[in-house]
Amino acid sequence: MAALPRRIIKETQRLMQEPVPGISAVPDDSNARYFHVIVTGPEDSPFEGGLFKLELFLPEDYPMSAPKVRFITKIYHPNIDRLGRICLDILKDKWSPALQIRTVLLSIQALLSAPNPDDPLANDVAELWKVNESEAIRNAKEWTRRYAMDN
Amino acid sequence: MGKELGDRIRIAECDLGQQSILHVIKIKAKQKLPELSPNNNIIDETEEQGNSPLCTTLNDAMFSSDDSSARASTGSTSEIDAIIPMLLLWLSREYYEFQEKKKPRVHFYVYCPTCKSLKPGKIRVRCHFCKSGAFTVHAAPQNWHDVLEPKQITGLCENTPELCANILNNSEPTFAEFYFKCSEHTSLGEKDEAVPLYLIRPNLRDIPCLACADVSDPIFVFPCAEGHVTCLDCFRQYCVTKLSERQFWQHPEYGYTLACPAGCSDSFIKEVHHFRLLTEAQYAQYQRFGTEEFVLRSGGVLCPQPGCGMGILADVDCTKITCISGCGYVFCRLCLQGFHIGECQSTESGNISNREGCLYNVDPTRAADARWDEASRVAIKVLTKPCPKCRTPTERDGFHIGECQSTESGNISNREGCLYNADPTRAADARWDEASRVAIKVLTKPCPKCRTPTERDGGCMHMVCTEQAVSFIGVGCVKHHGLESVWEAIGLDEFLKMYFFIKYQLLYLFILLINLFVNLVVELQKM
Repeated sequence: MAALPRRIIKETQRLMQEPVPGISAVPDDSNARYFHVIVTGPEDSPFEGGLFKLELFLPEDYPMSAPKVRFITKIYHPNIDRLGRICLDILKDKWSPALQIRTVLLSIQALLSAPNPDDPLANDVAELWKVNESEAIRNAKEWTRRYAMDN
Repeated sequence: MGKELGDRIRIAECDLGQQSILHVIKIKAKQKLPELSPNNNIIDETEEQGNSPLCTTLNDAMFSSDDSSARASTGSTSEIDAIIPMLLLWLSREYYEFQEKKKPRVHFYVYCPTCKSLKPGKIRVRCHFCKSGAFTVHAAPQNWHDVLEPKQITGLCENTPELCANILNNSEPTFAEFYFKCSEHTSLGEKDEAVPLYLIRPNLRDIPCLACADVSDPIFVFPCAEGHVTCLDCFRQYCVTKLSERQFWQHPEYGYTLACPAGCSDSFIKEVHHFRLLTEAQYAQYQRFGTEEFVLRSGGVLCPQPGCGMGILADVDCTKITCISGCGYVFCRLCLQGFHIGECQSTESGNISNREGCLYNVDPTRAADARWDEASRVAIKVLTKPCPKCRTPTERDGFHIGECQSTESGNISNREGCLYNADPTRAADARWDEASRVAIKVLTKPCPKCRTPTERDGGCMHMVCTEQAVSFIGVGCVKHHGLESVWEAIGLDEFLKMYFFIKYQLLYLFILLINLFVNLVVELQKM
């Protein structure tokens, strides 16, 4: 495998030295392009109190292409499907090499605060979110309690 | 080009390049106290900026003021005593080979059409009107605007000042025209010019690349307010990535171009020759996409025949388009299928009215159902062949080539025996192609603009057609998890073939089973 680009090294160092509040991202021991991420559920959101595990992978042509990010912890969210895949513009066509791992993770945290059921990935969740928001929020809280609060 | 240089300028730093002529003029001693001679012809050294070589003034002005002033103010006024030998520099397309010198710093980068690559360049000036190289500028250009835009800097045409003055009837001053040459090869004559790649600059302040964070030299400075910087490798990679996703923009003025990767507003690259940094093949692709984009923007169509893609500009109301200079295919402008009389066949293709932003709403469950029916119908169509007489779908199984099995058709067509002879291998091939074609039709959704079949294999409902950069909402999600990677690994064509092969084998088995089951039921009923 090719040497790790300086950009990744720098970003990793900065993530370690000045971690983003509420987010931890630690590179895997065997693969420096693979990060174990934990995002805390934002306050005043149905995900509050939850610790959500994610995986983040920097592809070969990073930073020209976006990191691949996926929720490992189950989450009830209209823009995250049951495989944990995230519908977020900056992970797709709005990606820019000027963005970084930290900005991506912050955006994901912001997505938890502001679900967007009009741009759904998980259709059933989005539907309920639109039709009966309070029930959807109840579900989200329940899922957070059940899947994101253990250990 | 005329430019006077102060005597403190080191020629080695002047970045003269080949074929530059330097005239050394000795000026008689005058007691030079600058404050006594403000209007003296001799250039006042306090205005150091005017004495430095043109490339230096221009380039430093582009960067930081502190940097240029640090360089420019090497001399002090008090030192100007006694004889001042003035260097009058004539840089012109002439004969004198300037001695090779170490270039500590390249000031200009050009795309040289002769060397076909990025090269250090040299700036030249000539009269805007008579194109004579004997021209002295009144002031050095201060920025790239002065150099690139015509009629910014005035000067004196030393060739035939009267002639130029006459041409202009003294209505305007004589202007300088700046151009560039490649510094690497010996000039091939007047026409041997190079395109200045003015966004590529020396990295005077060690700015790290925004993508890789390395400090390299030279750098690419994007034309945004922030002046975001990438190294040339990352710039190339940025272009290649954007090109492969067809995410360049068709700018009405600049052409097919890119903006700052940081997403700054108003940051399009104006000089598209910067994309010459790509390889020949990539640049060819860039040109092809750019041309296609231009044809579409101009109201033209692209021939839908695979491998053709000829751009055709036809009258707006003409729907029957013939690819005359290309493959000769005749197609309908509206549905991009083979030309037909009457309404377009396909359900979605009827109206390509995308004014509403390419959105159409379909109940997903209904859409899925519809697709299932369609799939069965299509599968029957693929796997059977109609009896030439009665049109009943007839399936050939391995052992009874050509024999019509259909009960209904038997009595009518037995005279001819419903036989058709086909080379089994050829028939299989034909069916394979047909199967792929049909399968693609079933499993994909055409882009509402260009009709390219597009499959959504997960992700959100937003789909972006890379052919046309049209986004639309996908319906009836085909969720094939983990296929993305296979796709990437083996390429789209191979992937589709493999995928549909597996898919159709399963469908085939399924239909066989249903067949058996139905037969069984019929048999049971008879008993």
